[in-house]
Amino acid sequence: MTAEPLTTRSLVTGAHEDFVAKPAGRRHKRWVGRLILNLALTLGALTMVVPFIWMIATSLKSPAELAEFPPTFLPKVWEWSNYPEALQAAPFASYFRNSFIISASHTVITLVFASMAGYSLARVRFRGRELVFLGFVAMLMIPTYTKIVPQFLLVKFMPLFGGNDILGQGGSGWLNTWWALIIPGGLSATAIFLFRQFYLSLPTELAEAARIDGLSEFRIFSRIYTPLIKPAIATVALLTFQESWNNFLWPLLVTTRDDLRVIQVGLAVFQQLDGTQWQYLMAGTTMATIPMVLLFLFCQKYFIQGFTNAGIK
Amino acid sequence: MTALRTPDVPRTLDPHQPPRAATRRSGPRRAARKTGLFGWLMVAPAVFHIGLWTAIPVLATIALSFTDYDIFDAPAWIGVENYVEIFQDPVFGQATWNTLVYTFWTVPASMAIAMVIAVALNQNLRLRTWFRTAFFLPQVTATVAIAMVWLWIFNPQQGLLNGVLAVVGIPGQAWLADPEWALPSVILVGAWQGIGIKMLIYIAALQNVDPSLYEAAAVDGAGPIRKFFAITVPMLKPATFFVLIISIIGAFQVFDQIYVLTDGGPANSTTMMTYEVYRSAFQNFEMGMASAQSVLLFLMLLVMTIIGRRATKGDEG
Repeated sequence: MTAEPLTTRSLVTGAHEDFVAKPAGRRHKRWVGRLILNLALTLGALTMVVPFIWMIATSLKSPAELAEFPPTFLPKVWEWSNYPEALQAAPFASYFRNSFIISASHTVITLVFASMAGYSLARVRFRGRELVFLGFVAMLMIPTYTKIVPQFLLVKFMPLFGGNDILGQGGSGWLNTWWALIIPGGLSATAIFLFRQFYLSLPTELAEAARIDGLSEFRIFSRIYTPLIKPAIATVALLTFQESWNNFLWPLLVTTRDDLRVIQVGLAVFQQLDGTQWQYLMAGTTMATIPMVLLFLFCQKYFIQGFTNAGIK
Repeated sequence: MTALRTPDVPRTLDPHQPPRAATRRSGPRRAARKTGLFGWLMVAPAVFHIGLWTAIPVLATIALSFTDYDIFDAPAWIGVENYVEIFQDPVFGQATWNTLVYTFWTVPASMAIAMVIAVALNQNLRLRTWFRTAFFLPQVTATVAIAMVWLWIFNPQQGLLNGVLAVVGIPGQAWLADPEWALPSVILVGAWQGIGIKMLIYIAALQNVDPSLYEAAAVDGAGPIRKFFAITVPMLKPATFFVLIISIIGAFQVFDQIYVLTDGGPANSTTMMTYEVYRSAFQNFEMGMASAQSVLLFLMLLVMTIIGRRATKGDEG
């Protein structure tokens, strides 16, 4: 890149013995440009990270220090005991466990059924396939709020559950049960769509060879093709887990019992009840945030693949 | 091909199973039918789930929007009365306006910033991956947790924002408690959280831009600004369309941060369409009204998507 073509401008401004001096000048200019670029990006990156540091810092401060103004950024005394105390103030451990159970269940359900559907839509010829695919695509665009009321009613009037009769009357259905937390959110059109795209990218010859070897269709799916999309599986798993872990509205609507609360709802409830105890609230928030941050830092590649793959082809 | 077996599945479940006589037909067709059965069985759980929890609810929402329904008594058909009421409701009008303002600042405005950051990160910088991680970090974190942190940052008495302003001598604000500042504060949080995904998609798209275009432009004497507008922006058009659509869909569904930060207040200055749906359905138990509101939300989203498509894909059709 240093051997830049000789342009008219350099001839006009640069005068005669410029051939040595000019590249050095340019290099200088580029160096300044890079410095400015790096500074601007550092400032932007700090804007992104400072709230997280502030969260952790707050979770380690004493109430007296929190009352100061202007606030200190890092704690003067690191109050590690805030964490066990926060766990006493609200059952964050149980919220955490509930969130984990739900996220893990959603991930497993999605991986099994979305991969099956995606494979079928990509690689198996059957009557009505186009129609099914179009149906899923149409469902991709449906906003949560256009289905939330009937979803709630379906849960409430689920027949033969929670004291309901066969017509869904008389009881509370799936409200305040694990069913409501796990089943409706278990599968998404997006995951099916993603799996279809991944299976489509694999060659068809593999299946033909496997058929000649006498493998059943299901084994071709489970033993030949699925192992080939392992990175894609990791991507869908992480996205599903993350979305489920961060979900708020649905668990808020279908649970009122404290022992079924997920961490996001638990945080909101704690804030409403004990909103002034910021050190405990921030300790809880840190606990709700850290698993996703760690998962992201260690599996960044898959996250990035997933977020960019979801639409760009 | 005739050796094809599907031992895991009972045959009778095939909804398209032809009459029995057809079993006597020759090899390939029989194989095709068996594959059809296999295909349907593989897709059946997903069809059932999405049908029950997405397709039926959408249709039910449309039907319920023409009723008066409070969960306890059976729904009563009232025609378009809910819609008439919505159009006369100043709060829903305010919510619609707030949603549009929020969308404007968190989508096109943030996209422009995200594109610039992506171009900057596309240079060969040493700290590149660190920067990328930092910008993307808020995206993977729960909106509720993020909103909790910002609630504390915006705290008028001990918050970080007023603290920093005090150090440089600017008087602090009540932020979320001030009808003037509440919506901008909420927008700031939304833009802050959403910039990472936009940037990421742009970075991926930039890697597909042919470097020789820039070299050719450099030979023609184009500066960095000229290159950005003459090459980068047009080449990123498909990515821009994609980012625009997913961002609009996301922005129209803003809920969690409103719930935590402002509860729609003060004086409805931050209420959103989604928040009104939530209030109607789960605080007032007006399921019919909530359904009508969510139908309108969906229609607006559809219109915005079509406008977005026109704006970014105009010449490709």
